[in-house]
Amino acid sequence: MIRITGILLLAFAAFLLIKTNCIAQESKIFPYQINQVVMENSLKIVSIPFPSPGVVAYYTVVRAGSRNEVEPGLSGFAHFFEHMMFRGTEKYDKNKYNEILKEMGADNNAFTSDDVTVYHTLASSDALETIMDMEADRFMNLKYSVEDFKTEAGAILGEYNKNYSSPFMIMYEKLREAAYEKHTYKHTTMGFLKDILDMPNQYEYSLKFFDRWYRPENCVVVVVGDFDQTKLIELAKKYYSNWKRGSYTLNVPLDKPQKKEKYIYIPWKAKTLPMLSIGYHGAAFSTTDIDMPTLDIISQLVFSQTSPLFKQLVIEKQWVEFVEGSQGDSRDPGLFTIWTRIKDAKNINAVREAIYSALDDIKITPVSQEKLATVKSNLKYSFAMSLDNADAVAGKISHYIQLTGDPESVNQIYTLYDKVTAEDVMRVARKYFTKENRTVVLLTEEGSK
Amino acid sequence: MKILKLTLSLVLFAGIIMMNINCAKNIEVSELYAPESPLITIRAWFNAGSINDTPGKEGINALTALTIGEGGTKELTYQQVLDKLYPWAASIHPQTDKEVTIFIGEVHKDHLDEFYKIFSDLILNPRFDEADFLRNKDLLLNHLENTLRGTDDENLGKQALNTFMYDNHPYRHTEVGTIQGLKSITLDDVKEYYKRVYTKENMRIGIAGGYPKSLVDKMKTDFGKLSSGKSVAIKLPDPEPIKNMEIMFVEKPARGTAISMGFPISLTRKDKDFYPLMLVNSYFGEHRTFNGVLMNRLRGDRGLNYGDYSYIEHWVQDAGSRFQLPNTPRHQQYFSIWIRPVQPENAHFAIRNATYELKKLVDEGMTQEQLDATKKFLINYSKLWAQTTSRRLGYQMDSEFYGSDFFIDRIEKELKALKLADVNNVIKKYLNAENIKVTVVTNDAASLKEAMFNNTPSPIKYSSPVSQKILDEDKIIEVFPLAINVEKSKILPVSELFEK
Repeated sequence: MIRITGILLLAFAAFLLIKTNCIAQESKIFPYQINQVVMENSLKIVSIPFPSPGVVAYYTVVRAGSRNEVEPGLSGFAHFFEHMMFRGTEKYDKNKYNEILKEMGADNNAFTSDDVTVYHTLASSDALETIMDMEADRFMNLKYSVEDFKTEAGAILGEYNKNYSSPFMIMYEKLREAAYEKHTYKHTTMGFLKDILDMPNQYEYSLKFFDRWYRPENCVVVVVGDFDQTKLIELAKKYYSNWKRGSYTLNVPLDKPQKKEKYIYIPWKAKTLPMLSIGYHGAAFSTTDIDMPTLDIISQLVFSQTSPLFKQLVIEKQWVEFVEGSQGDSRDPGLFTIWTRIKDAKNINAVREAIYSALDDIKITPVSQEKLATVKSNLKYSFAMSLDNADAVAGKISHYIQLTGDPESVNQIYTLYDKVTAEDVMRVARKYFTKENRTVVLLTEEGSK
Repeated sequence: MKILKLTLSLVLFAGIIMMNINCAKNIEVSELYAPESPLITIRAWFNAGSINDTPGKEGINALTALTIGEGGTKELTYQQVLDKLYPWAASIHPQTDKEVTIFIGEVHKDHLDEFYKIFSDLILNPRFDEADFLRNKDLLLNHLENTLRGTDDENLGKQALNTFMYDNHPYRHTEVGTIQGLKSITLDDVKEYYKRVYTKENMRIGIAGGYPKSLVDKMKTDFGKLSSGKSVAIKLPDPEPIKNMEIMFVEKPARGTAISMGFPISLTRKDKDFYPLMLVNSYFGEHRTFNGVLMNRLRGDRGLNYGDYSYIEHWVQDAGSRFQLPNTPRHQQYFSIWIRPVQPENAHFAIRNATYELKKLVDEGMTQEQLDATKKFLINYSKLWAQTTSRRLGYQMDSEFYGSDFFIDRIEKELKALKLADVNNVIKKYLNAENIKVTVVTNDAASLKEAMFNNTPSPIKYSSPVSQKILDEDKIIEVFPLAINVEKSKILPVSELFEK
């Protein structure tokens, strides 16, 4: 969920300078030097020199997202607050802020997800000091009126309206709401509609939100591209040293394991093909526990375009337009979610059974070493090909920072992928893909079920 | 304010990239050589699009491209192609528009030879499997029948505007055809279309990255084996003139109201006037930024919706960026305004607000200060559009289509020379706020139609207070007269759109 762009998808790569010819032989997946400096106030500056002459990507990673929305009635606030961060300070009011960005010709935006809010700018290296000055200023001195706050709430409702002409969003919302009991992953990053409608009344809470989370120990500045490291750190000290640490401690309520299968049906008023979503509680991101990387590999084995299930449902029987399943990286256990769109309502049950059967099969049939190697090769080449420009590199490294605070997690997780065995695949499949651990959402055109 | 030395520059590619066009055996090759880059992009381009669809079989261009690009080769089934590409994380995908169809291949150089064999075979020796044909036909039909009609109001509004704006014109039907057209297409039709259109006269290739130079000659030889045929170029008629505001209300169940507005303009990147108008448009509605007048007035001041932008050419956002997708060039372009979904009770106000701002732009023009700020922005911002070799190659091929210098370079050259009179002249010459087509995707078309036809006052409903300055301006906007062409305006149930 982002202020302007919606969902962050990293651009496909074509300008990567890999240091060896064969990706599969790299010991570290990330091919660039990572510098890390931690300031006295605990703000971490991560910098990565990258061959993008004259261009720098500047990211501020706030390790707070909709997961941090623990109070009832205030879902969606991390995202709403992301909008408010563009409303200015005394030094740079919103017009001045936009004027300067415009003069730079910068590409500037932000996005929010479950675990993070990221503010990002792509601009000329010459603009680095100005960017840092403005970013440090708004992270320390944000100031907005009640009127501005209420007006922005209208834009949030507009974003909700925009998103919810798609059944995917409704299904995703209902899936999470049903699958989680207490955990804040129960709501999407947009938040519940009733909370969005109440946002104009929550000005005081917005100040509290800023005070809690927009603190140096909770943020990481990521700079990628063409810059001078010594100068960068000098500037960081100049602009960020006065930022004070906070003291808030987050307690996210944890769910007990799901005991019973859940089922939701959604009638859709407009035209649509039947859609099915199945969520299984999965594993949290970890650089030491093998479960999460194993789930990623299962995602490929069962749902990639080379899987028997894809061949059966998409190519041979042609019952579905697509079928896919994966679990996004998350700080707490997220949902391994399967999506499919079914061409004919008469095949809904058969498609669902085919998916269950494919997941059952992987519990008992060892995957061949050759197939496992193929999946690992795909993961590595996909990663390498996603690092073609400074902005993409900053986005990728910020992803791992949001999860652990440590950019080296990127190398550690790919080392873990290498360690996944056929036995791990069967064990993890048996552990997570159980009937009682799943939530099923079916959406069909109203009156067609 | 600090004076910035803004040197976002082409040095990014300096010294490592050479561009040139190679032409032999009728196959033109655009090269973007970056020897240090292990990632290779190949763009195989055909001068054919939905304007070349056979009458009654609208969609045949897109379906042919999909059957080829998402199908097999003579040697490999579709599944075998996928199995080969998978461990390399390589991709091949077709992209179609009104006048151009392109196959884009991306691969790491570790696997270039094997990849190229598959990529070229797909185009030169397509399998034309019946199952691949049926699967892709379903995909296109479902896109029109279900996705656009039922689950994507913003793109529905844009496609509806296209249909409305280009009535009785080859651009009228969507890039993927019509429902009746698609239903009538057989695999034999696709084979016939391929034979007639996929000829060397209609084709050229682009390649970028650290490829071996020998591959260029090989591509010329290989694709030179395409059969000879006639050019399928079509002379486009002028779009029909628009008289006053013509509205199409598309009725469907909808939570918000999506609005698109626009009219054809006689400019492309080839024309000198395109560049001052591009600057004007950036000032008025630059895509996905907070720079534009529309964004600031509708969203920033009033919280009407999520975003409001304008365009002077057909504009599709490239996945993963806020930049334009390359390789959708057109010989005829249009000005448009995209108003993202508003609360239904504010739809009439939003249309008035956008029209009011457009009229102000036309009447008052831009100031020197606005010109200078936008010029600086656009010269620098445009250089971010080609940060990868793949996108840069795409822009280069588009420039060749238009017969113009490399787009990003030309923007800088033209904009630097612009004077205030230039931009204010093109505003008067190409823009207007009266003769414009509007599509509105709405749950309650009858009420909105009645209110608009009667020019009923449409006060905006705020959920929270705004400043007195805004309220004062609202008083003007809520009764801002819209001259509606009642005869040419209509309500259309969504089930009738894209049918034929």
